[in-house]
Amino acid sequence: MVEHERTGPVDFITWRFSRLAMILPAVIVAIMFYEVILRYVFASPTLWVNEMSLWLGGMVYLLAGLYAMQQRSHIRIFMLYDVVPRSVRKTFDLISVGLLLFFVFLVIWGGTGEAYAKFMRWERFGTAFDPPIPATMKPLVLITLLVVAVQAISNLYYDWHKDPEAPDALDEVDFDIEKIKAEQEKIAELAEQKTLSKKAK
Amino acid sequence: MDIGTISLVLLFGMLFLLAIGMPLGFASGALAGLVLIMKFGPDLLFGTFGTGPLNILAQRMYGITTNYVLISVPLFILMASLLERSGIARDMYSGLSIWLSRTRGGIAIVTSLMAVVMAAMSGIIGGEVVLLGLIALPQMLRLGYNQNLAIGTICASGSLGTMIPPSIVLIFYGLITETSIHALFKGAFVPGFILAGLYITYILVRTHLNPSLAPLPEPSEEDMNGQEKLLYGTTLLVMMATATAALFLFRIGFLNVFDRITPDTGYVNSKTLWINLSIFAIGMSHMLFYVGPNVVNEAWKRGRGMVSPLLVVFVVLGSIYGGITGITEAAGMGCIAVLILIYFRGEFSVGLVQEALMRTFKSTGTIIWVTFGATALAGAYTIAGGPYFVANLILGADLPTLGILFVMMFIFLFLGAFMDWVGIVLLIMPVFLPIVLKLPLEEIGVFSPLVAHPSFVSIWFGILFCVNMQVSFLSPPFGPAAFYLKSVAPPHISLPDIFAGFLPFIGIQLVVLMLILFFPELTMFFR
Repeated sequence: MVEHERTGPVDFITWRFSRLAMILPAVIVAIMFYEVILRYVFASPTLWVNEMSLWLGGMVYLLAGLYAMQQRSHIRIFMLYDVVPRSVRKTFDLISVGLLLFFVFLVIWGGTGEAYAKFMRWERFGTAFDPPIPATMKPLVLITLLVVAVQAISNLYYDWHKDPEAPDALDEVDFDIEKIKAEQEKIAELAEQKTLSKKAK
Repeated sequence: MDIGTISLVLLFGMLFLLAIGMPLGFASGALAGLVLIMKFGPDLLFGTFGTGPLNILAQRMYGITTNYVLISVPLFILMASLLERSGIARDMYSGLSIWLSRTRGGIAIVTSLMAVVMAAMSGIIGGEVVLLGLIALPQMLRLGYNQNLAIGTICASGSLGTMIPPSIVLIFYGLITETSIHALFKGAFVPGFILAGLYITYILVRTHLNPSLAPLPEPSEEDMNGQEKLLYGTTLLVMMATATAALFLFRIGFLNVFDRITPDTGYVNSKTLWINLSIFAIGMSHMLFYVGPNVVNEAWKRGRGMVSPLLVVFVVLGSIYGGITGITEAAGMGCIAVLILIYFRGEFSVGLVQEALMRTFKSTGTIIWVTFGATALAGAYTIAGGPYFVANLILGADLPTLGILFVMMFIFLFLGAFMDWVGIVLLIMPVFLPIVLKLPLEEIGVFSPLVAHPSFVSIWFGILFCVNMQVSFLSPPFGPAAFYLKSVAPPHISLPDIFAGFLPFIGIQLVVLMLILFFPELTMFFR
């Protein structure tokens, strides 16, 4: 996968942070495997794996969006955007970022009270393992949104004179295209040689 | 403001924001805020900082972050990403080709079969189309296959990833509508295989009517003749049966030795023991004494490529349907299975895992943040009384039941041509499903089977939606499958060429859509 270049100090921080957060899905897989083994082979299921994965999963969803923001890969439609001139695009970008800030502002306006209260109470999940999911995830939703807003402004600033890269379908898959193509060509050559040698006989 | 005006503003606001290229998730979020402001007025919302009706936005987002089933999404993406990096799927292709190379249209059929197996391994489409475009397309073109047939086969079959369980579309549908994803997966099985079966039938029929569409390759010494195919084929089947029996025996032995049998433990009685013991004995003696180790070796060489993919399918679907784990854990086990296979194939490296994690993180972010925005919007619109308003509007229009369903199918197909499936399921479903649930059950389907099982309505509708999205992957002007294929196809194949190849396959998809619409029984085989 080719990553989007890092522009500016905000990108540097989100990128570094995402590098760490990326490991979380692997951690979830690992603890789930541990749980399934314990449950079926040793018949002693754990209490903590389910809720731990829930907790980590929530962090993955939130932080992954931040990374997607830095990579400029959030789902959007380029139909009209691609055909209008540069100056109109800049207006579109301004409206987009403005409305994004509006959304973030509203969420923070409405949610801060509850998030603060839950954090101060250190509210737990109310289960056997009892992780502090409400106490941590409620504030994390707001904090992530805030950072996403900062990232959006940074993107707007650094991309002001750049055209967005045309979305490439290959961005979404992981094959080593060149390697597979070379292999296929080799197979084709072999097949051709065979038919040729047969005809020669 | 009344809900009618709010709905109109919302509709046009959404169209405007999407047109100017605002990311879908944030556009939905901003509109959610707008809906709340229009409903409650600024005084109530901005009275005191930190509280008020606006809290619904953060509430809904928090609700998503604590959703256990949603964890399966990053895990399925991780699994697909790992699979793409290994040669497992490519080996399956060569493995299948040996068996069907002498059949008319054989490579096209191999393509479809491989797509079905890949679809049963993962739940997303990009990888399948790209991989088949890389390996099957050059081969079919080299053999002189009709270009349209080759293109259509690859993209239509490659899109099955989101139809055959596990399917990421159904996971999202289940989340949004609070339908059992388990039940959705069970229901999608038969329609998915009908779709795949019809593709293969279409290939067979067309190539037999017009053999010039799919010339046979020059015969070579490595080809198996019919007798050999029979011998090796049966040997492979015997091997599989023996291995399964051995697995059962191992399980019985394990459970007995460690004294782990409770009244709920199934398949541990003496009957199972004897059946499996005899299968094992017959299988072993067949391999050792009847055909001999040499033949077994040869057969293994020819069937090996198919074993690892089927093993992954067995782990994922087996865990789900066998009731061993839920969907989330099944996705996790799938990742582990693929990692183990990668390790034994000698392809494992830290870089590989790191790259896969990077891809997973990015894709997860893009998909789930649409969900965040859409769920905020759905929450705000529901508080404002939106779904109720739209339902009354449509039900009050005095359309016949079938008419309403057709209108919905049309809207899905139309939106599907322009929008990503995530957006449609998240934004449209909360409005449409309540309407469907209110329709008179006896008017749905020719034999109205839903009357006896009213709980199946949402499952049936989800699968209907899933078939709609199959069409949307192929429909111009933005069918994603076309763009995936274009990115790896030889340069002389243009986008219009690709879309032209899709037409017969879109026809098949529409036939299946109508089948399911008129015969909901097709989704109800496993209850």
